[in-house]
Amino acid sequence: MSHAIRADKFLLDADRTTWHDETLWFVREKRDRAVYAVPEFQELRELASGIKNHTLSRLDLYLQEFEAAAKANGVHVHWAADAAEHNAIILDITRKAGATRIVKSKSMLTEECHLNPFLIQHGIEVVDTDLGERIIQFRDEPPSHIVLPAIHLKKEDVGDTFHTHLGTDKGENDPQRLTEAARQHLRAKFLAGEVAISGVNFAIAETGAVVVCTNEGNADLGVNLARVHIAAMGIEKIIPRLSDLGVFTRLLARSATGQPVTTYTSHFAKPAPGKEMHIVIVDNGRTQQLGRPDFRASLKCIRCGACMNTCPVYRRSGGHSYDFTVPGPIGAILSPNIDMKKHSSLPFASTLCGSCTDVCPVKIDIHTQLYKWRQVLGEANEIPASKKWGMKFMGRVLASTRVYGLGGQFARKALRLLPHGLTHAPSMNAWAVARELPEAPKQSFREWYAKQPAPAAPSKTSA
Amino acid sequence: MSLTSRERILAAAKANKPEELPLPTVPDFGGEATVERFTTVLTGIGGTVVRMGGLQELGETLQQLFPEARNVASPLFRGTVPVNRETPTGILAEIDLAVLPGEIGVAENGCVWLPEANMLHRALPTITQHLALVLDQRQIVATMHQAYAQLPHTGGYGKFVAGPSKTADIEQSLVIGAHGARSLVVVLY
Repeated sequence: MSHAIRADKFLLDADRTTWHDETLWFVREKRDRAVYAVPEFQELRELASGIKNHTLSRLDLYLQEFEAAAKANGVHVHWAADAAEHNAIILDITRKAGATRIVKSKSMLTEECHLNPFLIQHGIEVVDTDLGERIIQFRDEPPSHIVLPAIHLKKEDVGDTFHTHLGTDKGENDPQRLTEAARQHLRAKFLAGEVAISGVNFAIAETGAVVVCTNEGNADLGVNLARVHIAAMGIEKIIPRLSDLGVFTRLLARSATGQPVTTYTSHFAKPAPGKEMHIVIVDNGRTQQLGRPDFRASLKCIRCGACMNTCPVYRRSGGHSYDFTVPGPIGAILSPNIDMKKHSSLPFASTLCGSCTDVCPVKIDIHTQLYKWRQVLGEANEIPASKKWGMKFMGRVLASTRVYGLGGQFARKALRLLPHGLTHAPSMNAWAVARELPEAPKQSFREWYAKQPAPAAPSKTSA
Repeated sequence: MSLTSRERILAAAKANKPEELPLPTVPDFGGEATVERFTTVLTGIGGTVVRMGGLQELGETLQQLFPEARNVASPLFRGTVPVNRETPTGILAEIDLAVLPGEIGVAENGCVWLPEANMLHRALPTITQHLALVLDQRQIVATMHQAYAQLPHTGGYGKFVAGPSKTADIEQSLVIGAHGARSLVVVLY
């Protein structure tokens, strides 16, 4: 199913679509205010981009440096080539710990690997502890945004969900009281957690520590109460030095939500005495992306979500319409790497306006990559026949002055003469489904220009 | 003999990586390392800043700020609950107030560096209902760059704390007090 067809479902509720659009734009505006408060922000973006480019160019070496430092810290390091291996490693650690209860803070990687259903299938209780993630876990939905996982829901939806799952009063929609109910519910889970899983925002090669950024403190609470901490990280999370972290912590929260920094920026290097810490380093298609020069830069992504918040298509189509762990512009360049056929419509879910590229804190050329994916998909015959032949036809028209002129004449006449029902037939003109066609002018610019008197010769005494 | 996943990932990363690019030097951007800036920013993100004359005033300051705190844990004075890294979860869960020494304050974002050695127990700063961080105002720096420059290593565990635990996951309404401490006071002296 294409992105456009799934987006249609989201668009059925016009009020909700408008709310979604405006809310994310509000976050984008907060981001702008936070960014303008930092004079060197553009310099920081350049540095972040440079540090990531450098790291990718020595990725194998930094991974080994990180592994050695982490092992010296007493951490168990595991390597997983794909999602299945990642899941198997985590199940194995959990079983060896004799545990059946896991508390988990946010990790898009475990989402990408479909860890939760796998563990539940093997008799393990997994509780997502980020509030947004817990809400969608109750509802058995995937996140619709990487930073704001439940942004597609209204407080009434959360009220209904909590009434069903937590026994809050029917009709209780107050965010403060709903959050308090979740706090009490999740505290009990934290206190009972045996194994805690976290994601990784940054992994520092120099010190072997992993850094986790949250506003709720759920990673800290889960990890520090459980006996076993498992941190799941993609190979691209590496940065060389502790001092590089200054650049990224200044960019991440400002780009994500407009905060100056996340409430907690936690550095986990060694297990507490008597406890265990494991790091699972995962590839799952990333080394393949590294080998594609046109798309390699997507590995620089620090998962702030700024590109989603600014994207006119994402804001009006909702995260679920992308049907991929990471939605929005960055997801649309990551997903075809995983499955080109399944995600072939995503690089077209963009206006190519470049706003995503403008806000990206690590300067990924997102809209250029979207454009490049379109070429790759065209070559690989992964675009619909109507689009393919339409493009070929337009290519011929635009290549010839004569054909273009004739076509223009024909179109201006046709627009005036043909009945509305024909020019707006959804089967023939999808563009006009939600738009009015322009009124056709009597003449083209070229015809008008040809009738103008020749301009006077330029004067020699110009100012 | 088949390769392990480790060997395969490293080999693929080596084979597919681009030509080596230089590692940029991160400059010290300077900036404003003042109590005023720190206070404005931290207040803006839901924290509170209280100033006192010196450490000897701590007891009185806390009494005024938290008159109802029953279970108090701190390495700075004899609290009502002794906490160390062996303290059982059930006891930690009952703590009303933790008073911990912070080491570095960052003016640009209002965060305070809290190393493991200052926490009594790693879970204490988040499991406590309320958190007070005590900070020498001379330890305020302008930016994260300057903060990390003072940290050669972050130890076994340590964190920057900027305000109380919060969330906006329900319709983007900001709610203070998600899972961690419901309030954060930085006591400057």
